[in-house]
Amino acid sequence: MPKWFTPVAFICAAMFAFSPLVIANADYESTMGLVQKIFYYHMPSAWMFLIAAMVCGVASIRYLVTGDLRHDRTALAAGELLVVFGLLTLVTGPLWARKAWGTFWIWDARTTASLVSWMIGCAYLILRRYGGPGSEKLAAALALFGMANVPFIYISVNYWRTIHPATSVVPKLPFTMGFPLWFCVITFVLLFIVLMKLRVRLEEQQTRVDALYLAMDER
Amino acid sequence: MIRVAWLILRKDLTVEVRSKEIVYTTLFFAVSCVLVFAFALVREGRGPEDGAAGILWIAVMFAGNLALGRTFERERQSETLRALLLAPASRPAVYVGKLLGILVLLFGAELLLIPLVALLFQARLLAHPFWLVAIMATGTVGFAAVGTLFAAMLVRARSRDVLLPVLLYPITVPVIIAGVRGTATLLQPELDGGIIRFWLALLVTFDVVFVTLALWTFEAVMTD
Amino acid sequence: MTKMLKRWCAVVLLMILSGAASGAAQQPTSQPAQPTQQNEFIPIDQLPPQEQLPAAPLLIGAYVFVLAVLFVYVFSVARRLTNVQRELDRLDTTIKQGRA
Repeated sequence: MPKWFTPVAFICAAMFAFSPLVIANADYESTMGLVQKIFYYHMPSAWMFLIAAMVCGVASIRYLVTGDLRHDRTALAAGELLVVFGLLTLVTGPLWARKAWGTFWIWDARTTASLVSWMIGCAYLILRRYGGPGSEKLAAALALFGMANVPFIYISVNYWRTIHPATSVVPKLPFTMGFPLWFCVITFVLLFIVLMKLRVRLEEQQTRVDALYLAMDER
Repeated sequence: MIRVAWLILRKDLTVEVRSKEIVYTTLFFAVSCVLVFAFALVREGRGPEDGAAGILWIAVMFAGNLALGRTFERERQSETLRALLLAPASRPAVYVGKLLGILVLLFGAELLLIPLVALLFQARLLAHPFWLVAIMATGTVGFAAVGTLFAAMLVRARSRDVLLPVLLYPITVPVIIAGVRGTATLLQPELDGGIIRFWLALLVTFDVVFVTLALWTFEAVMTD
Repeated sequence: MTKMLKRWCAVVLLMILSGAASGAAQQPTSQPAQPTQQNEFIPIDQLPPQEQLPAAPLLIGAYVFVLAVLFVYVFSVARRLTNVQRELDRLDTTIKQGRA
């Protein structure tokens, strides 16, 4: 593991432990009250979900173009994080929405696009797990298609559901709410980096084990 | 390249005409699918409002899924896919040939399904035939483009039967939204040209983007 | 069918039957009023008092869920990493012994 890993992991854990305190000290939001504080974990989760999707897509393209297995490992790690952070976003969102909007789920562009992207991420992991040998390239193609799909989903659902009012999820933030948000964002970013590193490392070690077994078999 | 694609299409059609297996099974499946929907959703002799559009597209997608699986299963059994790839034909041409074959099959299924759905669900689907043909054609091309690529990719994979819909349906969500909404607009008493044109434009864009992507990816993915 | 399998089938059947029996027994009392269908989104400033949900369970639930999922994931990756590391060390010693 590289030298920066342990300090970063430590800082991340500390920030996570500290975050409830920071969030509790933030001002209440006028119309939504206490439940708005879910936002401080929901928003960074959503951003990490998006970042994971982009990392997975770009790594998949690079893997398809170069065939270098490092990109494939990155894509797999990013795919897993996509599903994890997507799950967090898709659960904290409705929990917040139940109180703020009165209903658990609405079919608007952003929520539907997130749900479909998350499902594509799950399909990616299912393919990698159960597709058998040679499924890395197929999964990379799937990731590429998934990434290309996002604007289409957005546009089509937007037009499909224009009867719904456009509720903006991120209002303009005053500092008392901006600081906890950025604190949590940095925490989640550090977490993302730590988890990516861990997961890629796991894949690397697994590849080495497989290679060693193969070498031993050949003797 | 067009010659190669045409040759592949002709080969597929010749094989199919002799056995008619995929055609019969796909058509029968599509009809049974619509019947199941009819039994499930028709109450007091009337289907749900605007249900016909959705049911038509769902039947097309299910039948398409089956047809894709069966077509490439046949290729796998005779190892003809490998032969095709080894032949001095450009990969994109192989893809286009297979795509055209699937499209012929799906268009045939739709020729049967549209009157059937219109009849069973009392929907005036054939009121604006030109728009209907445009929407169905572009939507089917989008679905088949992604489906042909994934089905070809999955030929050598494990669990390929269940993986095809798992991969295909999330990716073709825009097609189903645009297709169903576009077809549903045709069922309205007043035809709103702007909405139809929007969905059509979206479908055409989807087709262009994804056929291009599929052509590029086919090359990269089918090389061992 | 092996004995084990037969036993499992019997257990599952018993569970299904008892579940069905208790469900049938409860049938008369389990008909809640259907909520009215909501087709449109009407934003209002304040919910009427009888519909105001307590926010605390939702908030706590959300945070607990986030922490639980992250914990499970980190735990799973760490466990697999330790296993793989152990495997690598074992293979290394085997190879060294093979060479020696």
